[in-house]
Amino acid sequence: MAGVNEGPMSADDRTGGTTGESGVAVDGVGKTYDGDGSPVRALDDVSFGVDGGEFVCLVGPSGCGKTTIFRVIAGLTDATDGEVRLAGAPVTGPTTDMGVVFQEYHLFPWLTVEENVGFGLERSDRSESERAGRVDEMLELVGLSEFRESYPKSLSGGMKQRVAIARALAVDPELLLMDEPFGAVDAQTREMLQRELLDVWASTGKTVLFVTHDVAEAVTLADRIVVMAAEPGRVAEVVDVDVDRPRERGDPAFGEHVARVRELIGARP
Amino acid sequence: MATDTSSRFDGDELRFGLGLDDPRRLLRGAAGVVGFVVVWHLASLTQPAYVLPSPTAVGDAFAEELASGTMTTALWSSVRHWLPGTIAGTGLGVAAGVAFSWSGLLDDVTAPLVRTLRPVPPLALIGFAIAWFGINDAGAAFIIAVGAFWINYYAAYEAVEGVSEDLLDVGRTLGVRDDLDMVRSIVLPASLPGILTGVRTGLGRCWMLVVASEIFGVPGVGREILRASNNLLVDKVIAYILVLSLMYLLVDVAFRAVQRRVLVWRA
Repeated sequence: MAGVNEGPMSADDRTGGTTGESGVAVDGVGKTYDGDGSPVRALDDVSFGVDGGEFVCLVGPSGCGKTTIFRVIAGLTDATDGEVRLAGAPVTGPTTDMGVVFQEYHLFPWLTVEENVGFGLERSDRSESERAGRVDEMLELVGLSEFRESYPKSLSGGMKQRVAIARALAVDPELLLMDEPFGAVDAQTREMLQRELLDVWASTGKTVLFVTHDVAEAVTLADRIVVMAAEPGRVAEVVDVDVDRPRERGDPAFGEHVARVRELIGARP
Repeated sequence: MATDTSSRFDGDELRFGLGLDDPRRLLRGAAGVVGFVVVWHLASLTQPAYVLPSPTAVGDAFAEELASGTMTTALWSSVRHWLPGTIAGTGLGVAAGVAFSWSGLLDDVTAPLVRTLRPVPPLALIGFAIAWFGINDAGAAFIIAVGAFWINYYAAYEAVEGVSEDLLDVGRTLGVRDDLDMVRSIVLPASLPGILTGVRTGLGRCWMLVVASEIFGVPGVGREILRASNNLLVDKVIAYILVLSLMYLLVDVAFRAVQRRVLVWRA
């Protein structure tokens, strides 16, 4: 499909909103839960776009509906209003056009590393040799070739998340959708995984939407940051990160962006 | 680090349950058995044989029954209904438990029936066993199957209920589209530990039910126990109880070995 080959810096819709035929468009999404008697408005008129090949982070205070919007985009939860479009087509349910990575890895513990990575491929129309080749390629990409026959129980958190990323990418989705994927690992592993993710992004040219509560993480990774506000969950502002990669935390421009996003998050009504 | 803790559980603790590979545990177990037999022997000195026979009397009865061939005949008779009853009850129980737990519709339809039938003890169904199958292996197998069914039904039902919704979500995002694929690829493997625990409990319960299933005249170990009881041959009763215990132990150790092999992936 169009979009995935455009390269990371091709964001031409910098203001957010809807995009053309590539990337993701979140358009007026609202979500109301039936709390006991009193409906709870979790999301209200959330609109933003992620262009093909772009890396966008979604940040916000806890309770701003980050996970809800993540689930709506993934097709795991229905929106009350609005719609999500992937490459122009409305998302009506889970699709293999999106590779989804969850915070707690959720590897299938009864499958080996390579079987986990191959899980989605088994349901594709690829031949067996194609699938095997693809699994090899993905394991190579995340540097876990020598652990292919291990079960998840013997892997560290960082390794598990690499497997989860390889599993999500194996079916060659248009979008990599990640919900606080590095939230459960230690700080050192997290920085390593961030660098690796940027490498994977650069080498695959995928569109990435990355949900996090860690502002520094968002500034490290993103082309643009969608800042959400709470009660009800909505987009407060979209911040461009005009800092060259690789980004250093000591860089004044880095600090300015972090401060700016923190201020936006803190400025709750 | 993660491997350290997992090997601890995979290895020593679960090896045989009897501690066959842990000399200290083995020694303590042996001491327990010897202590029990000594106390039993001392107690038996104060009682007539029809109240509490001595361990040696039981040993003699065991040897006598074994030598005469009565014991092997009885054991073979019991196995002939234990095995089909256990297999049928386990298979149907697991299948029903998985299906009713996974499908909201089936669960709604069957819930009142299940709650009504659940408290019926297998023994209460002896009339049906005789009417439907007759006084034979099939009738006895029926009683055993009913017992195995419920244990496996509940174990499988709860195991499936406990399958993480997150794993199902992952499956959905990776292209699992229908119930059959979901159950086969995710629900069954994820609930396998719970299901196998149920199967194992059921295997033991079925040996207990062997006695009940033979109460209406089907030959077997249970029949021998009942007959010996009626004649106050307590040494023989205990000898045949030992047969049941040994069979249970044998099956349990074998099943644990299979279980460990099937669940190597488990932390």
